[in-house]
Amino acid sequence: MIFLRYVLSGTVKIVPDGTFQRMVFIVQNYYPMFLEGLKYTLVISLVGTLFGVLIGMILASMKIQKITKRDSFTIRILKRAGIIFSTAYVDIVRGTPMMLQAIILYYAFFVKWFNMSVMLAGIIIISLNTAAYATEVLRGAINAIDKGQMEAARSLGMSYKQAMLNVILPQAFKNSVPAIGNELVINIKDSSVLSVIGVIELMYQSKAAASQYFLHVESALVAGVVYLILTMSATRLLEYFDKRLNSPSGSALKISIPTSQSFQSRKRGNAKWRL
Amino acid sequence: MAIIRVRNLKKSFGDLEVLKDINVDFNRGEVVCIIGASGSGKSTLLRCLNLLEEPTSGNIVFDGNELTSTNTNLDQLRTKIGMVFQSFNLFNNKSVLDNLTLAPIHVLKNSKELAEQKALKLLDRVGLKDFANYTVKTISGGQKQRVSIARSLMMEPSIMLFDEPTSALDPEMVGEVLEVMKSLASQGMTMIVVTHEMEFAKDVSDRVLFMDQGIILEAGSPEEIFTNPKKTRTKEFLSRVLRN
Ligand SMILES: Nc1ncnc2c1ncn2[C@@H]1O[C@H](COP(=O)(O)OP(=O)(O)O)[C@@H](O)[C@H]1O
Ligand SMILES: [Mg+2]
Repeated sequence: MIFLRYVLSGTVKIVPDGTFQRMVFIVQNYYPMFLEGLKYTLVISLVGTLFGVLIGMILASMKIQKITKRDSFTIRILKRAGIIFSTAYVDIVRGTPMMLQAIILYYAFFVKWFNMSVMLAGIIIISLNTAAYATEVLRGAINAIDKGQMEAARSLGMSYKQAMLNVILPQAFKNSVPAIGNELVINIKDSSVLSVIGVIELMYQSKAAASQYFLHVESALVAGVVYLILTMSATRLLEYFDKRLNSPSGSALKISIPTSQSFQSRKRGNAKWRL
Repeated sequence: MAIIRVRNLKKSFGDLEVLKDINVDFNRGEVVCIIGASGSGKSTLLRCLNLLEEPTSGNIVFDGNELTSTNTNLDQLRTKIGMVFQSFNLFNNKSVLDNLTLAPIHVLKNSKELAEQKALKLLDRVGLKDFANYTVKTISGGQKQRVSIARSLMMEPSIMLFDEPTSALDPEMVGEVLEVMKSLASQGMTMIVVTHEMEFAKDVSDRVLFMDQGIILEAGSPEEIFTNPKKTRTKEFLSRVLRN
């Protein structure tokens, strides 16, 4: 609908020569669509990454459980179930394309059962997908924390949960900031696959803008510039945030220790922290 | 009266039997040093005493409580067993003060004010009152180990376990940590110390255990062990370490 509104509103215009001129032409005539797409892309990737990380925390804490001699029968069953579920979840989500996940979730469940808006569906799909990668990022970061931290906490009488929440997770989370930022950058780009279910994000809008005058290359170039601006700003912001986290304020002399940047190279995108 | 009683303790890692039938009592108010070659099982024995390692078989009774039984409240008993690690294991994400107050606040349910009061007193006792607000990354190894001792003392333990507390320190910092341990011993704290500091073992301990290949090969007063060891393995070990 939105697409039609913009296309039908103007009369037919003369398309200029030259790639750059044509890009300018696209921007002049279709910038509201690009802005709309930008908004969707930003909201979906930001909110999706946030919820993905939250779900990832739950899945990671399920996955790192260890069954010990002291566990009762019920606890053993629960732990085992948690480990199997989280492992299967991660394997399945990381082992299939997000486009396929989007199509199945959207057409098989979201529209049919919940009559859900594509925007919300998009956010849920990105969240569920990111959760799998975030699980592995966080699990790796937790395992990378020196075992002595947990032992010291337990030797003081803290429970496993208290030690996790107060000692291990804050450190693990801090070390995961670069990798989680990486996920955000990937989501900014890969939310483009949501155009298959009709989410009017940047890629969808750029295709729509291209169609009236068949300016596919120029429209894609405009979208590319917008994507680059988004991903590069996200990267710079996160680098700044990470630096702040690692240098206690008010002490210029303290050396900031580089975080263990455990890059999770994802098959799709395969993006690096630095562009 | 024994505060810790160890009976028929065995511990294996896979096929490797690290502790082979350990039987020993630790008495209240006693300072016991455990010496022996690297790999002889000293750390494993110490870590079994607060169940950081789960024994393969045997039992450990602490203050009348069977630690090895699966229905004891381990967390509660562990507050009474302080542990000092070779690598300090201070909480890296916390200030010196917060390292001390974390467990009292969460485990003993102390108020923040009370915990901080207690912490400042203990930091004073280990000579680090001015370092309360430092991050742990910025203090020296000797200071870290003193903080870690103070952190254990916050729980008011009835026994303290030390696993080579000075082995990771630069030589010039060993003294300050041993001083703190000596003063603790003189105040009557029950201590079990795995150490390579033979002078400390001679001067401070009431009893010395020599461990060799997973057993306590010889035990006795420091005089007996250092001046008149009975086993050849003990003699060999001592002549090796005392030469250096
Ligand atoms: N978690 C573990 N897994 C496997 N082997 C271990 C573990 N901890 C210790 N060991 C082995 O047990 C033996 C005794 O170790 P340890 O108790 O640390 O000796 P010590 O403290 O006397 O040097 C060593 O051979 C060591 O490699
Ligand atoms: Mg050892």
